Amino acid sequence: MKNNKIFTIMLITVLMVSATGFSQQKITVKGSDTMVILAQKWAELYMKSNPSASIQVTGGGSGVGITALINGTTDICNSSRPMKQTEIEKLKARYNTLGVQIPCAKDGITIFLNEANKVQELTLKQLSDIYQAKVKNWKDVGGNDAPITVYGRENSSGTYVYFHDEVVKGDYAATVQTLPGTAAVVNAVKKDVNGIGYGGAAYAVGVKHAKVKNDTNGPAFLPTAESIGKGEYPITRYLYMYLRNRPTGENKKYIDWILSQEGQMVATEVGYFPYK
Amino acid sequence: MKKLLAITIFMMVSVYGYSQKQNPDSLKEVIEKHEGRLNALDERVLVNEADLGKLNKIKVSGYIQAQWESYGKDLEKSNGYNNTFYIRRARVKFTYEALDGVKFVLQPDFSTGNLVLKDAYAVVNIPKLKDFTLWTGQFNRPDYEVEYSSSQREVLERSRVIRTIYPGEREIGVKLEYVGSTIPLKVQLMAMNGNFTAAQAKDVDSKKDLMGRIVYSIKLPDAGIGIDFGANGYFGGNLAKTNPYISNSDGTADSVKVWSYLDKNWVGGEVQIFADVLGGMAIKAEYIAGINSTASTIAGTSTMAQMKASPNLFNNFSGYYLYFIKNIGPKDQFIARYDYYDPNTKLSGDAAGNNIYYTTWTVSLQHYLNDNIRISLNYEMPKNEINASNSTEKKDNVLGVRIQAKF
Repeated sequence: MKNNKIFTIMLITVLMVSATGFSQQKITVKGSDTMVILAQKWAELYMKSNPSASIQVTGGGSGVGITALINGTTDICNSSRPMKQTEIEKLKARYNTLGVQIPCAKDGITIFLNEANKVQELTLKQLSDIYQAKVKNWKDVGGNDAPITVYGRENSSGTYVYFHDEVVKGDYAATVQTLPGTAAVVNAVKKDVNGIGYGGAAYAVGVKHAKVKNDTNGPAFLPTAESIGKGEYPITRYLYMYLRNRPTGENKKYIDWILSQEGQMVATEVGYFPYK
Repeated sequence: MKKLLAITIFMMVSVYGYSQKQNPDSLKEVIEKHEGRLNALDERVLVNEADLGKLNKIKVSGYIQAQWESYGKDLEKSNGYNNTFYIRRARVKFTYEALDGVKFVLQPDFSTGNLVLKDAYAVVNIPKLKDFTLWTGQFNRPDYEVEYSSSQREVLERSRVIRTIYPGEREIGVKLEYVGSTIPLKVQLMAMNGNFTAAQAKDVDSKKDLMGRIVYSIKLPDAGIGIDFGANGYFGGNLAKTNPYISNSDGTADSVKVWSYLDKNWVGGEVQIFADVLGGMAIKAEYIAGINSTASTIAGTSTMAQMKASPNLFNNFSGYYLYFIKNIGPKDQFIARYDYYDPNTKLSGDAAGNNIYYTTWTVSLQHYLNDNIRISLNYEMPKNEINASNSTEKKDNVLGVRIQAKF
């Protein structure tokens, strides 16, 4: 009898909490710095055509966005890399879901060089050697006799992780100067004649793109719509949105719009590429 | 205002005049001097960055669980009180990631009157085999409920069977772990002393116990479902060091040779189902059965009567647990768990004596106040087997309220 009473109290509490739990809030989007310009543009245009919608976009890096998704402080997480198994395990432990991965655009990680740099193309191996400080002088990769200044992102960045896993495939050298955001990397390379950096294509203003090739004998490609669309550019990746649960209500309407032709055109205008 | 304007003009003229007076040599000298200072500063920044880099490799996390519990009458009789405040856990975890793929972990528990070392281990990624890690030291035994952190677990305590066969959760040994990056498979193999208690820092016999666990994951993203299922096993034993008597599962008293090895073997199956249904839901279950032995601790100099009265135990056992977990919005969870444990499956009723089985219902509510604070309301209702030795249902329910602060 006593047990039944406690069951009843708990059930009532559950129902009360359920009723408050489903009230719709404004949409918060957090994560990838690479995607922040794109996400802000999407939010701005969507809110213009849907005045009742309220979307707040912030950056911080893919890692920060995924942590916010796990902690429940954001509705949508933007990430320029897939979630790691350890992060999915945390989501499972806290929300009992595997998370929902939505590819929303394609990006080619662009290699930024100063406009005065005479190097035109680099292989994946050369990039790996440069970021591991195995190659320290531009003359070793066809440039002038000058030391290479290497710029990169902080470890909370999805681009940092993707570049590490797919290109560097080893430890970043301690000499890599970490900067907060792709814009800061571009700015540093713009001012530094011996600089090299990497980041999303949309930020590359005032610097030149290096062509990238898989190996010495293969063709080199610039990150263009065509080369990325065909999968020829060697450092092509998807950009993702992650949610804790399958989207419903306002979240679903917003994501459907992003994946529509109109939303994908925005991705192209900003400097990225349609997800399919 | 006029005064301020006059001072500004005076200063500008003075600076202009001063710079006009400088010859190129002295300017060069000034530049060189400042260049030297900047270089020195650069060096200092590099040294500081290197030091900071080392500090960045150390991560400190932890949690405190402050709890209030109220007990049923039978527990009140044995405890001497019917409710209490206490610190269930107060842990600080230090993780040092020396290099990519090399990690050291140290985790003491500071709960009141109970300072113990919980974890002390090193994890190394095996070179050229990126999916394999080697663990050495003291860490959790490979079992789902054991490895599921008490800071995340949805009810206050682990199920009775797991608490009994894996006391303290940890063991000292070495573990090889494979977590597939291309196939959703996890394999764990562990060799350990097999006699772990806080007081036994070294093995008490030369034989090592072995444990293995394999888990495969299936994802059905369109349906929002994930299923992990697997099997585990424990293969080891205890040494009957002093006492030549044994009590078997069927209740017969037998004799064994002193220094003979009593098997401790069991196997289990597990499944966890995660479903994205109106806010997330999970069903988790594990079944374990086998032989558990306990070496008698009675001294070799004791009388035969004393040794017969406290023999080595060698019993068939079985147990399982079943969780139902439902998320309600992003901050709340409802949990119901049913668990069963029979320490001697061959005997039941009066013949079982005090080796009776228990079934336990546990219901719990969790509320996440924010990222760091979780409040739990938990009610545990054990039900014991009734026989001649235990003629009534024990009043041993426990109501608990816990506040957990995690950082």
